[in-house]
Amino acid sequence: METAAARSRRDELSAILQQEVVSLDQLRSCCFHGVPDELGLRPLCWKLLLNYLPEKKSKWESALVQQRNLYRVWTEEFIISPGKQDLPEDAVDSSSRHDITCDDHPLNPNPQSTWSTYFKDNEVLVQIDKDARRLYPDMCFFQRSTEFPLRTAGSDDGTKMVAAEYLRRRIDQCVLKSNAIVKNRSGGWNISGGAKRATQYLNLSGTEEAHWEVVERMLFLYAKLNPGQSYVQGMNEIIGPLYFTFSTDKDKTYREHAEADTFFCFTNLMAEIRDRFIKHLDDSSSGIISSMNRLMGMLKEADEVLWKRLMELDVKPQYFSFRWLMVLLSQEFALPEVLHLWDALFSDAHRFDLLLDICVAMLILIRDQLLDGDFAATMKLLQNYPISDVDQILCKAVQLRRRVLDNLEQLPEHPLELTP
Amino acid sequence: MAKRSYDLLFKLLLIGDSGVGKTCILFRFSDDAFNTTFISTIGIDFKIKTIELKGKKIKLQIWDTAGQERFHTITTSYYRGAMGIMLVYDITQPKSFDNIAKWLRNIEEHANEDVEKMLLGNKCDMEDRRAITRERGEDIARQHGIRFLETSAKANINVERAFYELSEAILDKGPNKDKAPEPQSLPKPRQELSKCCS
Repeated sequence: METAAARSRRDELSAILQQEVVSLDQLRSCCFHGVPDELGLRPLCWKLLLNYLPEKKSKWESALVQQRNLYRVWTEEFIISPGKQDLPEDAVDSSSRHDITCDDHPLNPNPQSTWSTYFKDNEVLVQIDKDARRLYPDMCFFQRSTEFPLRTAGSDDGTKMVAAEYLRRRIDQCVLKSNAIVKNRSGGWNISGGAKRATQYLNLSGTEEAHWEVVERMLFLYAKLNPGQSYVQGMNEIIGPLYFTFSTDKDKTYREHAEADTFFCFTNLMAEIRDRFIKHLDDSSSGIISSMNRLMGMLKEADEVLWKRLMELDVKPQYFSFRWLMVLLSQEFALPEVLHLWDALFSDAHRFDLLLDICVAMLILIRDQLLDGDFAATMKLLQNYPISDVDQILCKAVQLRRRVLDNLEQLPEHPLELTP
Repeated sequence: MAKRSYDLLFKLLLIGDSGVGKTCILFRFSDDAFNTTFISTIGIDFKIKTIELKGKKIKLQIWDTAGQERFHTITTSYYRGAMGIMLVYDITQPKSFDNIAKWLRNIEEHANEDVEKMLLGNKCDMEDRRAITRERGEDIARQHGIRFLETSAKANINVERAFYELSEAILDKGPNKDKAPEPQSLPKPRQELSKCCS
């Protein structure tokens, strides 16, 4: 059963996407209420909203080819043959018989050394591995193998291997190496039988890759390309819904390139929210603490009684809104709701102001329960948010936004002082 | 309305490297269940469980923290109010054991001086992948004068015991002002009323 409103929204969206130059403004106002699932247009809308695809349709093809090639080059450089580019040219050329160990070796104490970088990267990789594995554990999607694994150009013996195998070996190495020597009861050292593969791959063969391994590769590549930021827990929760959306595209070609497309959309998205992930920016105006303070300021403005109650109970914003804001509410709802919510978030012309409105709305919608509970009950509610109807939350958020805007119009003399 | 159904309130904190099983330990204790697949904790998580110890009803307010270094500035602010801290490592991950000293320094820096500490070597059901012997765990605990247990959230080994022992240590230290019931559980007359009903 389809409502008339939904049908007209669907038609409108199709019309917008058929234009030679897609109007982002129109797209935003149309996607705000959710991209209808049955049309399968969400992947395309997100690529446009996240500025991955240009507005001019004629440029799509070349833009996609260029970015997907670039991704290919990066995976080759950073994952399949890492370190190569850091070594002097003659070291890579096998014919010159240059002994690279003179310049660099695993025990080189120089922090700039290729080996030292390699070991540091391994720590990051092990962390990513832990989190990629436990992404959306309630869904089987991420555990399943992808139809389009990333194959390497071909090794010496002519066989093609999946790129995930390189990271699997690296992780095995880290884990096994550390397992290899254990102190025995008498204080001596034993080499433990570490022949067993430390990591489990659910019987995936060397030619298969699980979706979570694709996520792992993207996050590792992102960490390599953004060393100042590296990998922070929570990035997995940001990239997960993007990758899910793109790799379930109805269009086969898009599906085939879901990895590269996800990577660049993720990079664009992170460019807008990364300050929340960076510790030393916590107190800056774009950091997570400022965002939480803004949220509480907006709550005070909208519902002072509720704000006061939270203060009395000493329920600090970081107890709940840290997570809400950092991972764009992706841990508070089931994936279908998250996708719907993100349609709206990505359609916000002032990203991500709407996120704050939504958080305030979430609080106000359960105000009666919050006002009634003690500290423990309040915490429980906020950490296991009880409402799953995203539309209801969005409605409330829009209402709140409108009220703030109306207030601004009524007081034209000092409009700026009222902005939260 | 909340009723005061407990005599004492203890605040506990779980810390340790990412992926050592803090959330699983807490879930085993609070819900008596095990889930191999937990999403990573972002920031801080919170559970309540009421236990009975030496004839007293004790409400445990347990904070579960994110392990990654990035979250330390956020999570160290909880150290101050904690009366007991469980420091968890993974017996199959030497790195998590090596980091114990770092975590202890964190406690020293941010927690109350008299906080009760306990070291837990988790995943002790995974004998075939053990990298840290029980003795090494005992040694380091002895050196720092803290309690030690090997646990398994999966096989339900020592998890309950760990929480009871830590709570008992806090209880044995005798009454002090920190253990007063939550100030927010008011008003009084209604509490007594609801107590009768329950």
